[in-house]
Amino acid sequence: MQQQGGERKEGKPEPPAVTGDGSQGTDRGWAWAAVLHFFLVNVFVMGMLKTFGIFFVAFQEDVGGSSEQVSWIGSIMSSLRFLGAPLVAVVCRRMGERPTSILGAGLVSGGCLLSTQATGVPFLCVSMGLLLGMGFCCLYQAAAVMTAKRCRTRLAFSNAVARSGMGLTFLTAPFTQLLIDTYGWQGTLLIFSGIMLNLVPSSMLLRPVRTQLPLCPPASNEDRSSVPKGHPEEATNGAAQPSQPRGLPSTEPPAEPCSTGAVTTAAPGEAPTDSCCPETISEATKSCRSFPVLKEEKPQPLVDFSPLKDPLFFIFTWSFLFSHLAYFVPIFHLVARARTLGISSMDASYFISVAGITETGSQLLSGWIADQNWTKKYHYHAAYLVLCGVTNLLCPLATTFPLLMTYAVAFAIFCGGFLALVLPVLVDLVGVQKLHSYLGFASFFAGIAAVGGPPLAGWLYDYTQTYACSFLFAGACALLSPVSFFLEPLAQRWKLQKANVSMQSEAILQGSSGRAGFGCSHSQMPTSTDLQCQSKNC
Amino acid sequence: GSAVKIELSCRLADKYSYMKILQVTWKRGNETIKHINKTENSWGIQLTISENRKLGSYTCTVTGEEEFSVAFHLQVPQIEGREKPVISYEGDSAILICKSHSYTPIAWTWYMTNGSEQIAINDSLMLDKYIIDRTDANVTHLKILKLTKEDDGAYWCEAAYELGKSKGKLKLKILSLMVPLKPFLAIVAEVVILVPLILLFEFYSKKKRAEDEKEFDQIEQL
Repeated sequence: MQQQGGERKEGKPEPPAVTGDGSQGTDRGWAWAAVLHFFLVNVFVMGMLKTFGIFFVAFQEDVGGSSEQVSWIGSIMSSLRFLGAPLVAVVCRRMGERPTSILGAGLVSGGCLLSTQATGVPFLCVSMGLLLGMGFCCLYQAAAVMTAKRCRTRLAFSNAVARSGMGLTFLTAPFTQLLIDTYGWQGTLLIFSGIMLNLVPSSMLLRPVRTQLPLCPPASNEDRSSVPKGHPEEATNGAAQPSQPRGLPSTEPPAEPCSTGAVTTAAPGEAPTDSCCPETISEATKSCRSFPVLKEEKPQPLVDFSPLKDPLFFIFTWSFLFSHLAYFVPIFHLVARARTLGISSMDASYFISVAGITETGSQLLSGWIADQNWTKKYHYHAAYLVLCGVTNLLCPLATTFPLLMTYAVAFAIFCGGFLALVLPVLVDLVGVQKLHSYLGFASFFAGIAAVGGPPLAGWLYDYTQTYACSFLFAGACALLSPVSFFLEPLAQRWKLQKANVSMQSEAILQGSSGRAGFGCSHSQMPTSTDLQCQSKNC
Repeated sequence: GSAVKIELSCRLADKYSYMKILQVTWKRGNETIKHINKTENSWGIQLTISENRKLGSYTCTVTGEEEFSVAFHLQVPQIEGREKPVISYEGDSAILICKSHSYTPIAWTWYMTNGSEQIAINDSLMLDKYIIDRTDANVTHLKILKLTKEDDGAYWCEAAYELGKSKGKLKLKILSLMVPLKPFLAIVAEVVILVPLILLFEFYSKKKRAEDEKEFDQIEQL
C-alpha cells in the first residue's frame, strides 16, 4: 500500500506546476492550458490594439470626426488596459480568475458588437474604448496571475511562450485589411466579436487552483501523496497530530517554513517534487486537512493597498515604468528615423519585421535561461536593461541601413530579454499570494507611462527636431530602470526585520491555536528565504 | 458651363533676335491652328475653351536656322475616386467622398449609373435619400440614406473648373446583413460547442480525481 503510494509519486517526475496529490499529470496539463489561454489573450489583445490603426481610417471616413478625436478611441483602449488594473485586481481577488476572464471576454465581445451600431465618435469611445479596454485588462490580469500561480518552476519560460503570441500579431494586420475590404468595418467588427468570444472557452481552461482542501475523514489523516517510507509520522494516527508540524510554523523562526512544508510531506531524505513553498494551501502536499483552516479569518479589505506600503513594490514599479518607456519610444520612432536618414519605407518596414521575430526568439531564450536558476532572475532583468540602454545610447551613431539593422536586432534581443522576465521578477519579489494587488497597481503606474510616452516622444521630436534624441532618452530610461534593483537586498532586510517583529508578536497572541495553513503566506514571510528555497528545491 | 477665353503667346529670346524666322506654327497635337496674332516679337493664339475637347497640349514651333519649340498644357486636375469599393449594408447609410487636391473647383456634381446611363443626382429633389455636403469647396461628400440593393453600382463625382470638367469614379457595394452574419454565427456555434465540452472534461476529471482519492483512502485504511 505504501509502496504503491511511493511508486505512484515516483512515476510522475518533476512537473512545472503542481499539486502533490497524485494527479500531477493533469495539473501539468492545466498549467499548459493556462499558458495557452495567456497566449491567445496576447494574440487577440495585441492584435486588436495594433490593428486599430486600420480601423482609424474607416472610422474617420464613415463616422466622421477629426483625426484627433478618432485617435482618442485608440488611446482610451490602450491606456485603460493598464489603468484599469487595480479595479480588475479587486474583482479578480473577489471572484477568482476564471469568472473575471470570462467577464473580460464578454466585455470585449460585447464592445465589438456594440460598436457595429456606432453613429458617432463619443459612442465609439465608450463602446470600443472603454469596454474593450476594461475587457482587455480583465483578460490580461487573470491570465497573467493564473499563469504565475500554475507555473512556478518554469514561470519565465511559460511567460515567454505566452508572450510570443504578440509576435503573431503581424498576421492580424493583413487579415483585418482583408476583412474590411470584404465586409466593411461593421462586418469586420462583428466577426471580431465572434473571434473574441473564443476567449470564453479558453478562459474556462483557467481552472482555479484548489484553495480549500476537503475535510479529511477522521481515519485517514496521512498525506497520501507523501512517500511514507519509514515516515515517522505515519505511525501517529491521531487526528490532531499530523497537523501539528504544520501548525508550528507560527512559532518557528522564519527560515523554517519551507523545510516545514517538506517535513509534512515526505521523509527528510526525499526531495519534495513540488515547490517547497506552497503559496496557497492547495500546493501543500496534504490532500486534506484535519481541521478547518483558521488562516485568513480576518476579513480582507475590498481594495488592498498594502502594495503601496511595500518598498519592493516601489522598486519594481520604478523599474517597470522606465523599462516601459524605454521600450515604446524607440518603436515609435525607428521607422521615422530611418526615413530621415534616406531609407525607403519599404526597407524601414523590414526593421519592424526583423525586430519582431528576433524579439520573440529572444524572449523564449531568455525565459529558458532564467528558469535554469543559475542566479536570481532580476539579475538577468537588470543586465538586459543595461545592455538595452547602452544600445539605445549608441543608436544615434547608426546612420546607414546595415548599422540601423544591427541596432534593431540588438534592441530586439535585449528588449525581448527583459520583457520575458517582468512577470517572473514580480513573482520572485512578492510571491503569488498577493500578485493581484501588486500587478494591479504596477500596471496602473505603467499605464501612466504608456499614456504619457507617445506624446512625450512627440514633444521630444518637436523640441529637438531630430529623432536621435528620442533614442538617447530611451537609453537613459533603460539605464535608470535597473537602478532600483540595487536597493532590493536592503528592502528585503527591512521587510525581514519588520516581519520578525510582527511574527513574534503574533506568535505570542496566537500561541498554539493551530493556525494551520500558515505555510508560506508571503505577505508575512520574508521573501529572501523563499528565493533561496526556490533556487534550491523548485 | 461658361466659356473661357485664353490667349497663349510665345516669344523668341533676345539672344536669338539675329535669327531669320522662316515660320511659326501653333499646333495642338497634329492639328494646326490657323489664326496667329503676330505682334512685334511674339506670336499668339486665342482660344475659347468651353469643354474638355479643347484641352490638351498646345505647341508653338519657331523655325529658322534652328527650330525651337515650347508647349502649353491645358488640363483639369485629375479627381481621385476610390479603387476599392465602399462597402455598406442595407438600411444603413454610406458616405462617398471626392477630393480635389490643389485646385478649387467651381462646382461639384454627382452622377449615378443606371445601366449604361449616367444620371445626375439632385439632392434638393430627393432630400431624404441624398445629402450633398458642400461646406468645403475642395471636398464633396455624398451621403446616401436608407440603402437598398439598387443603390449598388458606380458613382461619379464631377468637378467643374473654368477650363472644363473632371470625373472621379467610386464604387458602392451593398451587402445584406446576412453576409457577415454567417461567419459570425459559425464562430459562435463553435464556441457554444467548445464550452460544454470543456465543462464535461473538467467534470469528468474531477470525478476521476475524487474516485482516485476514495480508492487511495480505502487502500490506506486496509
